[in-house]
Amino acid sequence: MAIPGLTLIGESINDSVPSTKKLFDANDIAGILELAKTQDQKGAAYIDVNVGRRAPAFMAEMIQRIQGVTAKPLSIDTPDYEIAAAALKVYDRAHAGGKPPVLNSISPLRLQMFDLAKIQPFMPILMVSERNLNGKAMPCMTAEETYQTAKEMLQMARERMGVANDQCILDPGIAPIGSDSEGITKRVLESMRLIHNDPFFQGVHMSVGLSNFTVMLPPKRPDGSPVKGPLESAFLTLAMPLGLDMIIGSVVRKYELLPPDHPAMVCLQDVLKLEGFDAIMRVKDFYS
Amino acid sequence: MDELKQLSEAVIKGNRNEAKRLTQVLLDSGKKPLEIVEQGLVPGMAVVGEKFKCNEFFVPEMLIAARAMKEAMAMLEPLLAQAGIKPKCTAILGTVQGDLHDIGKNLVGMMWKGANIGVVDLGTNVPPEKFVAAAKENNAQLVGLSALLTTTIPAMKDTIKAVRDAGLQTVKVIIGGAPVTQEYANEIGADGYAPDAASAVDVALKAVA
Repeated sequence: MAIPGLTLIGESINDSVPSTKKLFDANDIAGILELAKTQDQKGAAYIDVNVGRRAPAFMAEMIQRIQGVTAKPLSIDTPDYEIAAAALKVYDRAHAGGKPPVLNSISPLRLQMFDLAKIQPFMPILMVSERNLNGKAMPCMTAEETYQTAKEMLQMARERMGVANDQCILDPGIAPIGSDSEGITKRVLESMRLIHNDPFFQGVHMSVGLSNFTVMLPPKRPDGSPVKGPLESAFLTLAMPLGLDMIIGSVVRKYELLPPDHPAMVCLQDVLKLEGFDAIMRVKDFYS
Repeated sequence: MDELKQLSEAVIKGNRNEAKRLTQVLLDSGKKPLEIVEQGLVPGMAVVGEKFKCNEFFVPEMLIAARAMKEAMAMLEPLLAQAGIKPKCTAILGTVQGDLHDIGKNLVGMMWKGANIGVVDLGTNVPPEKFVAAAKENNAQLVGLSALLTTTIPAMKDTIKAVRDAGLQTVKVIIGGAPVTQEYANEIGADGYAPDAASAVDVALKAVA
């Protein structure tokens, strides 16, 4: 994995990854630390740490132990205020070469998490794919809504955390291509274009959880060639010119920028043109 | 191959036009709507569920097959109602409050309908009190809760509490979704856990048996 201009946050230490959950459940800390070391060696710029619904004290211990085996900055991955607070209290910025941690993530429904910057500065991932409508989550239904949400969230980050654009990361919310009968991928790319073209956002980073794009798809085509890497790469090829410069992803996946005639690029371009079930059928054709 | 088997095949392949054509052929030849459901559509979806469980089918195939089944079912439902065929039980189904994901929930709804379970689908982002009201109103025996996010599964616990607090002691609550586990289901007092849409039928029927 090495695409110039693309920063990788290594995704492996996450309680929702079944093999990692097993390590957590067995309290196999050595196994978790091994994941940190491997991702560090294989080129992750950040190591994501998600302990699920475990205690804040456990998160704090994990942050310290992981920083004991890697000098890479970490991505504190939790929606929980207390877990995030515990992690920020112990995160050793000097040990990470002076780099602040990423906080993954703050959504319009969890604005109080901006206050965590009082503990220590961090780079927030701002979830902009949903809005807060009278206290309830509503998905952004158009690229324009995502763009407006991004504007509000970035403004809030600047005011409440006192940070500049280049310390903020927007996540426009990628969705699985294998079930995208509602044109979500098209909308995500269009919202990125709107953000990228607006000087208000100059210097801001954009990130997606790229593995999410191909969940629920088979790993291989009948001829043995890979399915997920090429489709994720096709997304990168279209999204990077629109400002995508970070991903939460895998250190073993082969990410590359693809030529326009690559079958995965042709597939993705077709999906962007199709609607409803025709889009899903096109994805199925790609891997069948 | 007889037409019922062909209908199963059409569902498995996700060929909705063929599924509708065969449903009409079977109706014209005098087959009873319930037989078409139970001997044509349901066995087809059962194969789809099996293939999904053993990684031969993936979500796109599941969705495409479910659509074929849904369109054939739409032809049969009014006839079933006319013939006075009652569902085995009634289920309230929805994605819990704060969560907007509906793929898994829709697949479960499809599988349940196929198994002749009456389904009242409340959609996504459903607050606990809405589940309770719908369960009372429809005299439901089952409530199915779906969630995709670790941030929203606590709403399952709230919903189960609301159902119990409302005195609906005989209503069985079944939960499922990517972050949900059997362990979590036990912890929050759910009556059943379905790891995928294909299993949801067995889990539901066992819960109300």
